Amino acid sequence: MPRPETRMVTLSIDGREVTAPENVMLVDGAKYGDVEIPVFCYEPKLGAPVGACRMCLVEIEGIPKLQTACSTPVKDGMVVHTQTARVHAAQEAIVEFLLINHPLDCPVCDKGGECPLQDISFGWGGGRSRFIEPKRHFQKPLALSPLIAIDRERCILCYRCVRFSQEIAEDYQLVLQERAAHTFVATFDGHPYVAPFSGNIIELCPVGALTSQPYRFRARPWDIEGSGSVCTLCPAQCNVNFTVRDERVLRVLARDHAEVDDGWLCDKGRFAYQAVHVDERITRPMIRDGGELRPVSWERALEHAASALGRAQARVGAIAGGETTNEEGFLLQRLVREVLLSNDVDSRAGGSLSLDLHRALGAPAAQATVSDLEFADAVLVLDCEPVDDAPILDLRIRKGVRRRRVELAVATSRPSSLDPNARLRVRFAPGCAEAFLLALEAAIGTAAGEPRREEVARLAQAAGADAGAVHALADLLTTSGDDVVVLWGERVTGGERGEYAGRALLNVAGRLGLRDRDGAGLLCVPAGTNGRGLAEAGVLPNAGPGLSEVEEAGRDAAGIAAAVAAGDLVALYLLHTDPLRDLPNRGAWEAALDRASLVVAHAAFLTEGIRAHADVVFPAESYAEKEGTVTHPDGRLQRLRPAIGHQGETRAEWQVLAELARRLGRDLGVHTGPMATDQLVAAVPFYAGITLDELGGKGLRWPAREAASAFPAPATAGPFELEPPAPAPAPNGRLRLGTFRSIWAAPEVEVSPALKFLHPRQRAELSPADAQRLKLFPGDRVTVGSDGHSVSAIVALRDGAPEGTVFLETAIPEDSASLLEGPLVEVRKA
Amino acid sequence: MTIDPIDPRRVPRFDHGSRVPGWDEAVDLTKDPAEVPDPATTPVPDDLRAAIEAHIAKYPERRSATVPALREVQERYGWCTPEGIEQAACVLRLTPAYLISVATFYDMLETRPVGRNTIYVCTNISCSLCGADELYTTVRDEVGDDPEFNVRSFECLGACDIAPMASVNGTYVGPISLDEVPTLVQQVRDGAEPLPDKQLARRRSVDPNAASRS
Amino acid sequence: MTQLILFKDIDEPGLATLEVYQRRGGYEGMRKALGMSRDQLIAELEASGLRGRGGAGFSMGKKASFIPKGTMDKYLVCNADESEPGTFKDRELMQKCPHMLIEGMIIAAYAVGANRAFIYIRGEYELQAQILERALEEARGQGYIGEDILGSGHSMTLWLHRGAGAYICGEETALLDSLEGKRGNPRLKPPFPANQGLFQGPTLINNVETLATVPHIIRMGGEEYAKLGTPGSTGTKLVSVSGNVRNPGNFEIELGTPAREIIYGLAGGPHEGREVKFWFPGGSSSPVLLPKDLDLPYDFDSMAKAGSMLGSGAIIVIDDANSVVDVALKTAKFYRHESCGKCTPCREGTNWTVRMLERIDSGEATPMDLDIMASVQEQIIGNCLCVLGDAMAMPVGSMIAKFREEFEAHIEAARERNDALTTAVAPPEALIQGAVA
Ligand SMILES: Cc1cc2nc3c(=O)[nH]c(=O)nc-3n(C[C@H](O)[C@H](O)[C@H](O)COP(=O)(O)O)c2cc1C
Ligand code: SF4
Ligand code: SF4
Ligand code: FES
Ligand code: FES
Repeated sequence: MPRPETRMVTLSIDGREVTAPENVMLVDGAKYGDVEIPVFCYEPKLGAPVGACRMCLVEIEGIPKLQTACSTPVKDGMVVHTQTARVHAAQEAIVEFLLINHPLDCPVCDKGGECPLQDISFGWGGGRSRFIEPKRHFQKPLALSPLIAIDRERCILCYRCVRFSQEIAEDYQLVLQERAAHTFVATFDGHPYVAPFSGNIIELCPVGALTSQPYRFRARPWDIEGSGSVCTLCPAQCNVNFTVRDERVLRVLARDHAEVDDGWLCDKGRFAYQAVHVDERITRPMIRDGGELRPVSWERALEHAASALGRAQARVGAIAGGETTNEEGFLLQRLVREVLLSNDVDSRAGGSLSLDLHRALGAPAAQATVSDLEFADAVLVLDCEPVDDAPILDLRIRKGVRRRRVELAVATSRPSSLDPNARLRVRFAPGCAEAFLLALEAAIGTAAGEPRREEVARLAQAAGADAGAVHALADLLTTSGDDVVVLWGERVTGGERGEYAGRALLNVAGRLGLRDRDGAGLLCVPAGTNGRGLAEAGVLPNAGPGLSEVEEAGRDAAGIAAAVAAGDLVALYLLHTDPLRDLPNRGAWEAALDRASLVVAHAAFLTEGIRAHADVVFPAESYAEKEGTVTHPDGRLQRLRPAIGHQGETRAEWQVLAELARRLGRDLGVHTGPMATDQLVAAVPFYAGITLDELGGKGLRWPAREAASAFPAPATAGPFELEPPAPAPAPNGRLRLGTFRSIWAAPEVEVSPALKFLHPRQRAELSPADAQRLKLFPGDRVTVGSDGHSVSAIVALRDGAPEGTVFLETAIPEDSASLLEGPLVEVRKA
Repeated sequence: MTIDPIDPRRVPRFDHGSRVPGWDEAVDLTKDPAEVPDPATTPVPDDLRAAIEAHIAKYPERRSATVPALREVQERYGWCTPEGIEQAACVLRLTPAYLISVATFYDMLETRPVGRNTIYVCTNISCSLCGADELYTTVRDEVGDDPEFNVRSFECLGACDIAPMASVNGTYVGPISLDEVPTLVQQVRDGAEPLPDKQLARRRSVDPNAASRS
Repeated sequence: MTQLILFKDIDEPGLATLEVYQRRGGYEGMRKALGMSRDQLIAELEASGLRGRGGAGFSMGKKASFIPKGTMDKYLVCNADESEPGTFKDRELMQKCPHMLIEGMIIAAYAVGANRAFIYIRGEYELQAQILERALEEARGQGYIGEDILGSGHSMTLWLHRGAGAYICGEETALLDSLEGKRGNPRLKPPFPANQGLFQGPTLINNVETLATVPHIIRMGGEEYAKLGTPGSTGTKLVSVSGNVRNPGNFEIELGTPAREIIYGLAGGPHEGREVKFWFPGGSSSPVLLPKDLDLPYDFDSMAKAGSMLGSGAIIVIDDANSVVDVALKTAKFYRHESCGKCTPCREGTNWTVRMLERIDSGEATPMDLDIMASVQEQIIGNCLCVLGDAMAMPVGSMIAKFREEFEAHIEAARERNDALTTAVAPPEALIQGAVA
């Protein structure tokens, strides 16, 4: 979809000539002439203006009535007055009306000092009230959810919060009830407003009616400082502003970036900052001593790690977790490759892919951007659940569908929260993306007139998908328009046949002509926050920095686990990861960790694997303390800036890695954070020339820079000749196992007091038909097992769940689905 | 100097409390969030589902059937019960919050338990010029605390020509004199037609020109 | 004697049935219309000078001509919400002659190319809804509603949508939101319904009486119709007269008939020994007029010139036994109750006005409060999202302006009453009671 072009128009405001982009609302247009028009209900992020508060009334020549500047687009030659007696009278009237029932309890209001109502009363109000009736008084504050408090006395009914719930998050949980002066903001029948994005309403509220429970009464605006950085809790990498008081993060606000987050945050990003300051956080180095981890000095920890690693030489495997920055990843692979002389370093959970495939999938020409999701003709969500995997993308997709009528198709195993918005939903068996993509490719061929119907039928069956739905999808993708964006989850290329699934994806992309088209392309949702950056920094067994060839490829994560378990490797270096949580096949990892003679970990929390197996633990920085860069899935390098000093004895990771190298006899030449960035940039040809200054606050997409031409071209990007995979195992009384990772499955959520209540417990999602067959009811406890392993779960029925599959969560401390192997599992009443 | 004692009953200081149900209510943090009800776990009576689906079919968008669906719920359960709202939400594929938001906007939809027999007494201008306020209190007094009744003072019902009037279980009657009230209430209790001679349905046009023709 | 158009056969037994209606010439207008071109039809409507009967008095033909040509989904909506206090004309039409409305809607839908039509009837009209449902079934049975109506190539659906009690849903954009299943909040204009109305499609919205007049215009010819009434206010109009009159009811008059003739001649004037004190000429939203205005011709322009409006054509007569304060309070309370609550001046202003009037009524006010109250009305007028706020502020403002002395006297009298009362009360106990109450 072509993006609207902007033409400039000239109008007169208060006698001044103002040039503003055509079609912007007068409120925004006026800013081009430095004229401020007060608003309450207007918030362009929320979509079309509603004109409710009437604060923005202005006089426009030729129109007898005053007009709302928030809903009147600027026009050439328009003559506007904002300073006439009529306008002043109207503004004073609105302020007077808004204040008649407002409690004016500013001295004890969290919003005081940063409150639009205060500011506008001050700037535009008449400064007097003639209202002598008693004001309304109610109980307050009341809980709206464990995260949000509501003070209905203060509410000015601007509609912002309910519009957010209904039109942005589309959760429709927060609504207005009653009407007229009785109207109030509430939920249904006393249910709490709990939804992935609920916290945004706190920031939207122009008064102190909605406040953050964790932030209430923690600071006054003049006590605090803002500090911009990036949230690294998921691959969406939203831009945030930390509110800091006395070296403590007290709040996280959105730092609007139209190309990244559109000005929203998910509740994990908004509230998990609490994990920075909890007691559970590791802030001192520790060494296992007599079976227990005990705090020690840095000197001892470093020395211990260095000497043990030195002894393990070349028999060390290293894994970097998703939150690792580019610089840390880069230094880690240098440490492993150059100092420890091992090739076994990985950052991917799903297994190794060929270098060629990495290059083909990551090629700049094939990339779509976040905002492409909004302007595309069609979007295919493939084997990922945006709201869990990169929440903010969920809002972006909804926005595209709602505002621009983007045709949305969802092709997943598990029902998606985007299903109701999708034109088309296709389900395939868990882990069968490859067969599904082959079927799709054949169906696109059929749509182009090739006689491949039978092939589609066969492949769809192998994928456990409905052939008719695959054809319909092919039609949708080929007829909606040329700008098609495929948002695909890294799990597509996970597992043994990941390589082939990746090729099948490239075939589909080739068929749809997604390469070399602005506005179209592939967008990967990596499993970890910085999945893309780590691959580009060389944290892959078969690629060096810049996806360069390595002399000898090493083992991937699964290979490392097997090698440690077999005794071929003796030491494990874990940077921001606990394999028991983050990686598949928990059984294999338990064996590996048991056998390893040395486990060195950088960690912030003692999750199971670290607690039980680490020999040396370096306290990891939190994202609020870090400096460095991360790379967004669409190629945008973003800069992290420390908002607070290091907590406790924490040190920067780059420093620890450099120090270890030094103790092992090698100077990496890194003495400051920016030096690490410089090294990284010098080592990755397609990052060439990037400086931290250039990244600034908004980051920079490297695929859009000239140096992108230095990206190593793949030998071939398809089309590939591909063999059909073995069909998905048919449920034979046992059910197919599907797994997913919830947005709330994170150690940060587990330890944040405010978010704790959201931390998931295992539940077995079943279709009503399967439940009936198994005589199970919602709430029943079941054991789900395969090959001797089993987990316990609570039954949850879901109407849209495909028959024959049970879905379980991974990345939770107990009963994680990563214990199970599948593909079929038995579900039994416990 | 003496200060006049104030009659507190005449000071509306205590008159502004939260009369709106809900204003003073916090949520119950033990409840789950109210999302679009999943059909797998929300049983809907077949006839209710059929009635709502028949409404849905009239409109290009399902949402349009919200008010008709809520009317069906009220018809069935006597008021818009939380369970009824969840059932309607399940058929409409909307959240219950959306439905309660709509339900509380409209005067005829009851979101608290009420008596089955509804009497709306119009107390708007024309009717009150003809004694509607007395009519309203008389009806209230006559009904007393009978839980089977839901007597409400209502805005203009569009029948000012029969002022003072009331809508009795949907049937318009008027003009009602005060001494007819006991009969009226008894008729409702008995399930009989309310004041048959005073029903709007039987009223002929008063336009002398029209009347002279037929 | 007035030439009756809408009420000609109004008490004919069985007129609500298709059979009797057709026997009386019903659906002839539709047959004629289906043989005409759309442009011709709109031209006839414009020539008739018919102005909307719902309140705003906008030319029906012109509004129809704003509907874009083309094949997009277009809608016709009949506004049968009739909730303006004092108004009950649509009720009688729908109850006694539902097919006249249906016929008008078929013609109007054909004229603007709308394929989906709805009648939005207020929820309280139970009987009328039943009658309309039956009539619609009959019309569908005859093929007047459905596919390819009488071979004209025009297809349409027509459904009855029942509201659930909210005055604001009579405002056309609030009605659309309500019909879309939302809370009945008015929308910002522009976009106007003619461009983006129901489900974002071009939509023609008209009042029941307006649409019911359409078949007659087509039958008679627009120019013939325009001969009735006055040049600015053509045709006949149903007027609902209520309040302190002997013979309240609906009357069909030719526009321009003197108000006195309607109030005294048709509705019988005030009761024995009473005088007209003031009157609302067009529902409770219209600024009140005085007895001296009774000789004005009852039409759109004359009412506007007198500082009020014809509105929905509902005359409420208040005689000299009643207090203006009571009427003002009733009026204000109505709008406070019915405000949708979306925009600030209406939501807060109506509430504040009621609170002040209550104080005035109970004698806790001073004449200065009257000034404040008048100023609050000024602060509402013109600043709201829709005109409901104005609909309270204008009549209440007019009452203060025209009856200020009575308000002041009322305050004085109530105050004296209070003074006499308060000395008799024992404060402490009462205070506690007050706190509990
Ligand atoms: C608050 C308010 C209430 C209204 N109520 C009604 C009503 O009940 N019936 C009606 O026909 N028009 C009503 N209107 C007028 C409509 O907005 C609209 O002008 C009318 O339906 C157009 O039809 P017409 O041109 O045929 O009059 C109301 C307007 C307002 C502002
Ligand atoms: S709670 Fe805040 S955001 Fe919501 S309507 Fe009230 S003032 Fe607006
Ligand atoms: S004027 Fe009143 S009814 Fe109209 S939009 Fe504003 S609050 Fe709602
Ligand atoms: S900001 Fe324009 S009406 Fe609220
Ligand atoms: S005032 Fe009572 S029906 Fe109109």
